[in-house]
Amino acid sequence: MRRRAFLAGALAAGLVRPARAALRGFGRGTWQALLEANKGRSAIVHFWGVTCGPCMTELPVWGQFLRAHPDAPLILIAADPSPQPNDALVAVLDRAGLTRAASWRFDGGFAERLYFEVDPEWQGELPRTTLLTTKGDQYSWLGETDFAHLAGWLAAQ
Amino acid sequence: MTVRQTVRLAAIACLLAAGTARAQEPRHEHMGHASGGCARTTLDCASSATPFFAPDGTLWLTWSAGDTISVAHSSDLGAHFSDPVAITPAPIRMDSGGDSRPTVIVDRTGRITVAYALFQDARYNGAVLISRSTDGGAHFSAPEPITSDSPSQRFQAMALDTDGQLFVAWLDKRNIAAARARGEQAAGAGLAFAWSDGTTIPAPRIAADNTCECCRLGLGWMGPGRPVVVFRNIFEDKYRDHAVIVFKDRDTPGPLHRVSDDHWAVAACPHHGPTLAVSGAGTIHTAWFSGGGPRKGVFYALSHDNAETFSDPIRLGSADRQISRPTLLALGKTVYLAWKSYDGERTEVQSMVSFDDGTSWSAPRTLAATLGQSDHPLLVANGGAVFLSWMTQHDGYRLLPYGGES
Repeated sequence: MRRRAFLAGALAAGLVRPARAALRGFGRGTWQALLEANKGRSAIVHFWGVTCGPCMTELPVWGQFLRAHPDAPLILIAADPSPQPNDALVAVLDRAGLTRAASWRFDGGFAERLYFEVDPEWQGELPRTTLLTTKGDQYSWLGETDFAHLAGWLAAQ
Repeated sequence: MTVRQTVRLAAIACLLAAGTARAQEPRHEHMGHASGGCARTTLDCASSATPFFAPDGTLWLTWSAGDTISVAHSSDLGAHFSDPVAITPAPIRMDSGGDSRPTVIVDRTGRITVAYALFQDARYNGAVLISRSTDGGAHFSAPEPITSDSPSQRFQAMALDTDGQLFVAWLDKRNIAAARARGEQAAGAGLAFAWSDGTTIPAPRIAADNTCECCRLGLGWMGPGRPVVVFRNIFEDKYRDHAVIVFKDRDTPGPLHRVSDDHWAVAACPHHGPTLAVSGAGTIHTAWFSGGGPRKGVFYALSHDNAETFSDPIRLGSADRQISRPTLLALGKTVYLAWKSYDGERTEVQSMVSFDDGTSWSAPRTLAATLGQSDHPLLVANGGAVFLSWMTQHDGYRLLPYGGES
């Protein structure tokens, strides 16, 4: 935590820039691993894609949300039907102010299987947001997010 | 359930939970890559492949692989293909939307027209380009933009009229740009269309405004000069349901008719467009995906009255499977309908056929199956013979005779 506080201070002072690290690959089994890793914790998982106009419109609003809630447990997953180049995704996240969030990208060519692993009823519509609760429940919706209510949910955690 | 309700529910569920924690990442990396890494431009690396039977029975195929659009032809129903010809002179940023694919068409004079889409800028605006060959596919012209005055075009669809005129339709964002310039907001794209003599594409017109921007179109013919187009529209600024337009003549798009009241209110990209076929009797058959509202899944309906009314939608496939990517083909009064069915491991193409213009249907049967990634299944006819065209990662490109019922 001390290191995070220092980093936040350094970032605020303009001393360092967020690293343009490679996004982690989201492949077979990643979703289950993510759920396991977040067991007992709450998280906001936002699936987005560069081939999705509404996603690109909303992404900067997610950036504003993260600025207003720096400790928000936000996970971003780029879920385009075809895998996108890492640098292009990083550039979009950078523009939206989202480089600090934990970020993944679909890694292979079999997007349908990844959609199915997340939710057998999901066919890849984007954007999609899933709340993971401390009890292990999931609440998902498609399309735009009501950020006021999301902030309310976050405050209740 | 609305977003608001969903979030509120979640808030209630978690009111008693204490403490805030940052999202945790899995401790172990996932094992292996599903596929990826296939960077060649050859057909076996294609993410999508689109067939067209020329009037002489030659199968033409265009595909996107390795940032390149290629074309080849086969005179033995796909058993062997000619050496591929690259349409794109240099690697392109392919439009990688789930419904995007290159398309090829060959007219009676033997002119070959290929169209494809790429991303033209950092904002992922699309551009549709056209390339032609008049020497049997040995050489193709340098790709040209389909239009010169639009910020974005995607999801082109092409079909030949009886006199050889080429009808081209696509989703176009010129109206969004114009609205923004006026300080207004436009929710959707526009359905653009143009007619071509095969040499140039004249300035397009907009047949319908405020369409969904990320789904393919479906095309058919009500008769000479009368294309029929199905597309995902945006009704009342929120419902991404389907609409059909039947042209009155070449210059006059008819009124927009809603296919069904799915009431899928979502500001999202389904990446999942409809399909359409018109039978010899003028019956419009269409199938589509809806992700919410009263209907969730893939559905089929028909219209006997120029799209003014549609039958009650019929759900396709099993409810416990992921059903997707319907495709329709009509020959006379025989209608073929196929779709993908996925159980988490195996993808099947299932199909049913109607010999009475959609009044009754056979039981569904499995035409093909694969493990791994697969393209949309496409039904295609060579004269009276029907085939399933399907690009699969594990089993390569397949052209399978429909057989059995046909």
